[in-house]
Order: sequence, then C-alpha cells, then structure tokens
Amino acid sequence: MKPAPFVYHRPRTVEEAVALLGLPACKVLAGGQSLVPLMNFRLSRPRHLVDINWLPGLDGVEWDPDQGRLRLGALVRHQVLATHPLVRRHLPVLAEAAGHIGHWAIRSRGTLGGSLAHADPAAELPAAMVALGARFCLRSQSGERWVDAGEFFQGLFTTVLAEDELLTAVEVSVDQSARWGFYEIARRVGDFALAGAYARRRGGVIDLTWFGVGPKPFTVELQAGEAEAALEQVLQTAAEDVAARQWAKVAAMRALQRAGR
Amino acid sequence: MEHSRPQWTGARVARVEDARLLSGRARYLDDLPLPGCLEVAFVRSPHAHARIRRIDPRLALAMPGVVAIWTFSDCPVRLLQSGVYPVGQPALADGEVRYVGEPVVAVFAADRYLAEDAAEAVEVDYEPLPAYVDLAAIVEHPDWAVHPPVDNRYVHREYATEGFDQAFAQAPHHLRVRFRTRRQTAVTLEPRGAAAVFDPASERLTFYASTQSPHRMRGDLAKFLGLPDHRVRVVVPEVGGGFGMKANTYPEDILVAWAALKLGRPVRWVSDRMESLLADAHARDDIHDVEVAFDGEGRIWAVADHLMADGGAYPGYPFSGAVGETGLAAQVLTGPYQIPHLKTTIDCVFSHKTPLGAYRGVWGPIASFVQEGIVDRVARAVGKDPAEVRRLQLIDQFPYRNPAGLVYDPGSYRDSMELALKAIDYDRWRDEQRRGWREGRYLGIGISVFVEPSAMAASESGSIPYEAATLRMEPSGKVTASLGLGPTGQGHETTMAQLIADALGIAVEDVVVLHGDTDSAPLGGGTGGSRSATIGGGAALTAAERLGEKVRRVAAHLLEADFEDVVLAQGQAYVRGVPSRALPLAEVARIAYTDVARLGPELEPGLEVTARYRPPLPMTFSNGTHVAVVEVDIETGLVKVLRYAVVNDCGTLINPQIVEGQIVGGVAQGVGSAFLEELAYSEDGQLTTTTLLDYRLPEATDVPPVEIQHLTTPSASLGGMKGMGEGSLIAAPAALVGAVNDALAPLEVWFSEIPITPEAIVRAVRRRAEAPR
Ligand SMILES: Cc1cc2nc3c(=O)[nH]c(=O)nc-3n(C[C@H](O)[C@H](O)[C@H](O)COP(=O)(O)OP(=O)(O)OC[C@H]3O[C@@H](n4cnc5c(N)ncnc54)[C@H](O)[C@@H]3O)c2cc1C
Repeated sequence: MKPAPFVYHRPRTVEEAVALLGLPACKVLAGGQSLVPLMNFRLSRPRHLVDINWLPGLDGVEWDPDQGRLRLGALVRHQVLATHPLVRRHLPVLAEAAGHIGHWAIRSRGTLGGSLAHADPAAELPAAMVALGARFCLRSQSGERWVDAGEFFQGLFTTVLAEDELLTAVEVSVDQSARWGFYEIARRVGDFALAGAYARRRGGVIDLTWFGVGPKPFTVELQAGEAEAALEQVLQTAAEDVAARQWAKVAAMRALQRAGR
Repeated sequence: MEHSRPQWTGARVARVEDARLLSGRARYLDDLPLPGCLEVAFVRSPHAHARIRRIDPRLALAMPGVVAIWTFSDCPVRLLQSGVYPVGQPALADGEVRYVGEPVVAVFAADRYLAEDAAEAVEVDYEPLPAYVDLAAIVEHPDWAVHPPVDNRYVHREYATEGFDQAFAQAPHHLRVRFRTRRQTAVTLEPRGAAAVFDPASERLTFYASTQSPHRMRGDLAKFLGLPDHRVRVVVPEVGGGFGMKANTYPEDILVAWAALKLGRPVRWVSDRMESLLADAHARDDIHDVEVAFDGEGRIWAVADHLMADGGAYPGYPFSGAVGETGLAAQVLTGPYQIPHLKTTIDCVFSHKTPLGAYRGVWGPIASFVQEGIVDRVARAVGKDPAEVRRLQLIDQFPYRNPAGLVYDPGSYRDSMELALKAIDYDRWRDEQRRGWREGRYLGIGISVFVEPSAMAASESGSIPYEAATLRMEPSGKVTASLGLGPTGQGHETTMAQLIADALGIAVEDVVVLHGDTDSAPLGGGTGGSRSATIGGGAALTAAERLGEKVRRVAAHLLEADFEDVVLAQGQAYVRGVPSRALPLAEVARIAYTDVARLGPELEPGLEVTARYRPPLPMTFSNGTHVAVVEVDIETGLVKVLRYAVVNDCGTLINPQIVEGQIVGGVAQGVGSAFLEELAYSEDGQLTTTTLLDYRLPEATDVPPVEIQHLTTPSASLGGMKGMGEGSLIAAPAALVGAVNDALAPLEVWFSEIPITPEAIVRAVRRRAEAPR
C-alpha cells in the first residue's frame, strides 16, 4: 500500500500553484483524506503533486453584511466549518452537516475545496452547496470563473473543474427567510451516508436536496402538504432498490421535520 | 508453606504494560532496526481460481533496488500437516492459484516502496478457471473439487446420542431453522509480519514473529527449513493483537525465513491492511441446519444440526478453522441447557476463498448464536417469556455431562442469569417494551447464557497440555520470570507477576516477566484458547512455590531455623512467630549466588527453577450471562444498544480490571459480529471488502457502556482460575441478535443470519408490511 513514485511541489502563491497545474498528470493535494488513500491503493497515480496547504489566504471564513454573503476559502477544514462562529450564526445547517464528516482527525485535515473537487456522491458538503445555491471560484492561469454549485457537479466523482484549475473559494448568499433541516442516515458515526437530505422551507415551498442517493446531489421542489406522497414518486426513479429508496425518503422526511413549520 | 493473605492476586493492579503502550514506546516488529534489511512485496492472485501460464519477472528485476524475485521453485515448501489434512498451502502458488490474495511471487528490494513498484511490473499470465465460492452450493455438489482428486469434503463426522431418533420423533413440537454466519477476520491493530536474520558466525537464524505461539513457530521453521531447532531462535516483540489469527504459521513466515538464509541478508515483511483482509486467516463461514424437538412447556428434547463450514482453499497451518469451528461447536451446541439428545453431522469443504483459521471464540460465537436462537424460537413458539424457558432447563448439577459427552465443571449458570436480569431491570424493560410497541418504538431484550470451554489440553497451541515457567531470583532478591506464553495485549506481564509476587511475598514491581524469546523461555504452548491464566498461571504458581522452597531452605540454614518454620513475606524470610529473626531476600539471594561458602555442602548455589503445570481436567468451563437492550429504528434499519449487562464467572480473578477489559473488548467485537463485519465475496470469488471502508469495524460510538459483575466458582486448577479470553465474544452476538429479534416480535420478523444489516432489517420489515394478513 505504497503510492507510485511522484514529484512533490510546494508552491507559495496561488499564481505559482496554477502555473504548476499545467504539468502532466498533475494533482492538487489539499487535506489528502481522499487523494492519499487513492494513491496508496495506486488507483490514482499522479506524476506531480501540488500541495496547496502552504498557500496564503485560502483558509478564510468571511461574512459580508452588505451582500448577506458568506465567503469560504477552499482550505477551510471541515472542523472549522463545523465550529466557526460565523458559519454557526449564518448557516447553522452547514456547520451541522460538516460535523457529520468522518471523525475529528479527518475533519481537522479534510478541506471544503477538496470535498467539492472530489465530488463523492455520498459526501455532505457537495449537496450542502447545491442546497444553499453556492457559487465556486475556479482559478487557472487564464484567470478566474464562477460556477454555480448546481452546474459544478456532473456525476459520480466528476465536476466541471478543468485539470489546470484550482477551486479557491465558495460564496453563499444567506436567505434569512428560509428554515433549514438536515438529516443523515449512516451505518456508523462518521461514515459516508446511506442517504442524507437537506430540507429548506420557504413559505409553502419545500426544497429537498439529497446526497448518497444518486450519482450526484439533486434538488426537488415540492409544495408543503403533499410532501410524503410526492416523495414516493420522485424517489421511484432516483433510487433503484427498496432499501435505498426507503432511506432517501426517511432522510427527507426527518430533515423536513427538523426544518420546522 | 504458610500463606499470608494474597496481596496482589485479585487486586486491580495497573497493567505494567500500559505505560509503554500508551506512550507509544512499545516496540513492534516493524520498529526493530535491522541494518541492511530487504523488504518483501508479494504479487498476490487477482483471481479466485486460475492456472498460471507464465511468470515473467524480467522487467521487474531490472528496476532500482530490486535484489531478487522468487516463485514457488525458489522456496518449494508446502505447509502440509501430513496425516491430518490431505493438502497443504505452498509458500508461493505452485502453478495454480486458489484464492484472491494468494501469494504468487515474492519481490525483495531495498525498501517496500521499491518492492511494490517492482511487484507491479512482474507479469503473470493467468488462465481463469471456474471458482467455487458459495458454501451451501459446494456442500450440494460433491463433484466440485478444489484439489482434485482429493475429496472436497475434507472432514465429515456424524454423531448421535443413543435413542435420539425416538426422542426426536416423540416430541410434540418441532421447528427448523438455518443459521448462517458470514466471514469475518480478526483485524488486529498491528498487522501480521515477520523478519529474519541469519548470523553466519553462530550459524543461527533469528526469526522475529508477531505470533501467539513462539515455540510452535520455532518448531515449524525448523521443520520447513530443515534446521535443527537449537539453530533457530524465535523472538516475539510487542504484539498488537492476535485473537487467534496469529496462532497460525503462514506461507509468508516460511518465505521470509527461507529468504534470509538464501539471500544472506535480513528480510522483513509487514502486512498492509489490504493484505490483512485478503490473506489473514478468515473465520466464521458456517451454516447450521437445525431441527429442534420440544414440548408445550418449552422444554427442549432433542436438537439435530448439520454443521457446514467453508474452510477456504487450504487448511490453515497447523489447523483448519473450519474444523475448529464445527468440531467444537458440535460439542457445545446445547450450551448451558439440559437438552438430553443431540445429533450432529459435520461437513468441512474447500472453496476458492482465503483459508479459515481461528478468530476469538472460534466455535463459540457460532454455537451460542445457534443455541440461544433455538431457545428464543422455542419460547416464542410456546408463548412464554424467553427467561422463563431458560429457567426450565439451565444446568445446576455438577459435574454435568452434556449430550456430546463434554463434562462441565461447576459453574454459576442459573445465578449468572438471575443476576444479569436483575442488573438490567428485566421486568421494567418488558413493560417499557410493551408501551413502546403501542407507540411504534421497537425495544428488545436479548439474553445469552454462555459456556466457555477454556484451558484445553489441545487447542490452537497444539497438544501441549501444559505451560512452562522459569523463575530466577537474582542476587538482588528481585525476580525474573520467563514463560512460554505468547501474549498479544492481555497483560500477562502484570497478571503473572501478581501470582508470583504473592507466592514469594514480594512486590509486583520486584518481578519482571519475560516471554516470547525461545532462547530464554522454556518450551510452552503459547497463548490461545483462553489457556494463559489457567495453565500459564498454574506454571507461574508452581515455579514460584518451588523457588520459594529453595529460598526458604537457604534462609533456614542461615537463620538456623527449621525449614518448615521459615515464612516469606514483605521481601523477607523470617521465622514464624519471631519476626525479629529475619533476613531480607536480597541478603539470602546474595549469599546463594556470591557467598556460597556460607551455604554449607548440602545446599545447591543459585536460586532458579523451571516448572511445568498441567491442569487436572482436560478443560474448565467459564460461564456467565449477557443481557442486551436495543432499540431498532424500523424505518432506517439501524440498531442502537441502550443497555448492556454482563455477569461473568471465570473462577479466581487475578486482576478484575484486566478481566473487565477482556469483557468490554469482546462485547465490542460482538457488536461487529452482530451488525457490521462481513468479508463479502462476489459470485466469481472476488473479495469486495478489502479496506476498512467496506469491512466495517465497531467504533467507540457503537459500543455501549458495559455493566459488569463477577461471580466466582473456582476451577480445580492451581489458583482456581478459569480461562475467560473468549467468553464475552462467545456470548455477545447471540445477546444482540436475540434483542433485535425480540424487538421485532410484533412484526414476526426473525433474523438467523449475521451480520444483521440495516438493509436486511428494512427489507424484512417491508416484506412483512406488504405481506397479506
Ligand atoms: C476515514 C474517512 C472517513 C471519511 N468520511 C467522510 C464523510 O463521512 N463524508 C465526507 O464527505 N467525506 C469523508 N471523508 C473524506 C474527507 O471529507 C476528505 O477530506 C474530502 O473528501 C477531500 O478533502 P481533502 O481536503 O482531504 O482533499 P484531498 O484528498 O487532498 O483531494 C481530493 C481531490 O480533490 C482535489 N482537490 C483538492 N483540493 C482542490 C482544490 N482546491 N482545487 C481543485 N482540486 C482540488 C485533489 O486533487 C483530489 O483529486 C472521509 C475520509 C476518511 C479518510
């Protein structure tokens, strides 16, 4: 269980980092909690590894009161997300969800950017971003572009991120009128989800966003009151098997319950 | 010899091992500095069954740091236990691979990174062949053979009590169940490993092993390498868990030793986690087809069981786990219940899967799961409380001969159950349960009354029905003890020191316990089958008594007192009733070694003894009861353990804290067995659970607080200890499964297969909901 040989780079600026991403078979190393195991299994064999942990300015959590917007750097660790006062104040549902990722040791290393770039269908954060309507900032040598979370995730472990692009930040506009609920079903504390859901209630409209159900996070809008019956229908196509369907439904119902009235 | 009240035995002495273990200073095999050491990476079979057409190492041989690449012909050894099994595993696959993970090629390189790079470059051309994977199907197809022309059913045994058929036929009620346990493995924190160094000057091989049986390992190496045993030294450094899995000698062990001899350099291999899951001994791949005859009261008249086990591609060496699991399960199948009639048929078969070996409890967790499953089903069938049906037939006369012929020594079977029910507040939970059912909450209570045959004359350690201890009082009066045991974390350095300290009237700190070096330890069986406290403890006590006698003879001479009147206490030898006539042991010892003129002609200089202890009975039975309370979320299929109580009786407790640690660990592994752990194979024989992401172990948050009480029915062995290393894992799965079945009683859902997964619960509950009423 040793990785194949690779060259290790430690850039000190974002410019330097994105320049290095032009190297052949190059990978970004963030928290390493997904990439390093894959490398040890030799399922991932980068020839160049660009360690972004030493880049300045990527670990910020900032609140912009004028725009009502939270900005999170790509290197924000899951544990910071789970405990940061600004996140807990403005997006408590995100803090709660981050607390469900792995264990303390994993949360202390794993990063927001890494989780999003990795795009595990059963991960908490990609779905959170879709549910929250976040935007991602992608940097390359030719500049930066902003992509909506809903467009970013393409499928199983696939995103629109180009090989030479670095995800640097995430922005979330906070809707004060929304009520949120989160629920996750997992075999053990810290496991990837069997199914999980975010529920957002705005007046009579409910948005449900799932993870661990399809190949990527997805959202369904329902009218309050018809939720349960509609769910059966929606999930008929989303999850093939009985148990998976049941978990998806239960996660949604319980998330909805937590979103309150 | 006069005994003052034991000061150490029975006390919660803090483990002397803990300081180094908890501060990271313990030295495991992988930590040993071995200058110039080569590391091994294995090319392992990606196929369950295939013919090897060609192996081409040329590309790999040219890679940096690579020293040698071996195939079977370079190390033509087979781990064959002739006369016992028809086949033995080759050190490296010989022309054919028979399970995924089987070692095929060994690559020796300067370090593990280079070795793995080269291993990838070795070209092996396989011709895939059909694989036999499913136990039930294999048993039904006698023509399927893993080692033609050898009979694939390599063990077949039948047994029945006299009058079985009649008793079975006459019973008013019958039921039939198939119990299934799925493959598991021990997953020791420290993986398996081996290192070997040959010293040309002394012409001796030193073999570092992470094993439970140092002397057995030495014997095996001597046999397979063709060396006399005194040219082989086995050293066992700190071992991070064994659980029976490290009781075997594996192909990798032989290969590492052989390579050190042939390549003339130290060689080391340490398993990684993927290799562990693929190639450590697997366990528990069993089916029990059971028929039960009982009456309307819930009394069980007769049990018939067809026991089947999938032994994997080869018998483990020196024993097959399949045989251990079925052979002993067949003998303790009636557990603690007075069931007069028993009929068993055993079939062990080969398959294209990893060989089966031992895992803590071996037969026990399976037998208890079956036995308690039977009692619960009978209770339900006659509409009685499960505790009531147990009361009807728990044994209370000793010695008790069970229908398989095993004789149980005295135990506290009934008391343990009553105490455990009281501890958990059984009646209150029954009320709670009924209330819960009305509100859509599913609470369940599971009872598991267990029997733990321990300290067996023949066990994983082979037929070495004794243990050995060498004790030396050094010139300082301090004691060095050396035992043949092979502890893997159980705390023998503490418990053995407690026994010795009491016997010699000294402090625990004054005893150093060594083990695991065949150059210093007397030949013993090692650790396995819960034998160390009883047999090893007996050896420590016997040696300590004899050493004490020597010390007293010297002291009597020096004090000019009668030998009978000399007492050892508080680090002194004194004359009974005259405490002022005393000599510190340091003084006695100094004289015995270095001032021997004062000993006179009759007394032998030195204070050293070696003793072996053989218990009076072929085994002694620990017992106890586990009671679990669980809540099943029928919507998600997740189970939460709310309460867990254990009453344990292992005779004399040397150290309650260590006993309790063993119990909690066993319950944790029981949670894994009942709900989480499964080595899953695809139809074509691929192991699909090759990381700890897929092979789910219980985590701290899955393990309930365990409320423990002790009862004490001493064994007939010296000191009165009974083995207790396995009982908690024997009992726990049955208690947990029983609790889930109890919770789901209103839905009439029964589980008879472990692990019980959330999928299984969700599906079963749905099936009930959709079934026409
Ligand atoms: C035992 C265990 C349990 C876990 N449990 C969970 C869980 O329950 N839920 C969960 O969601 N996750 C879980 N994880 C994964 C964890 O959350 C990872 O931290 C996360 O998926 C990846 O983040 P990372 O920073 O470690 O990224 P890395 O592993 O360093 O990288 C992951 C991938 O993203 C790329 N990447 C990283 N950062 C960037 C960037 N800024 N721009 C572009 N590409 C980038 C890398 O090149 C790589 O391909 C678990 C991991 C472990 C080991």
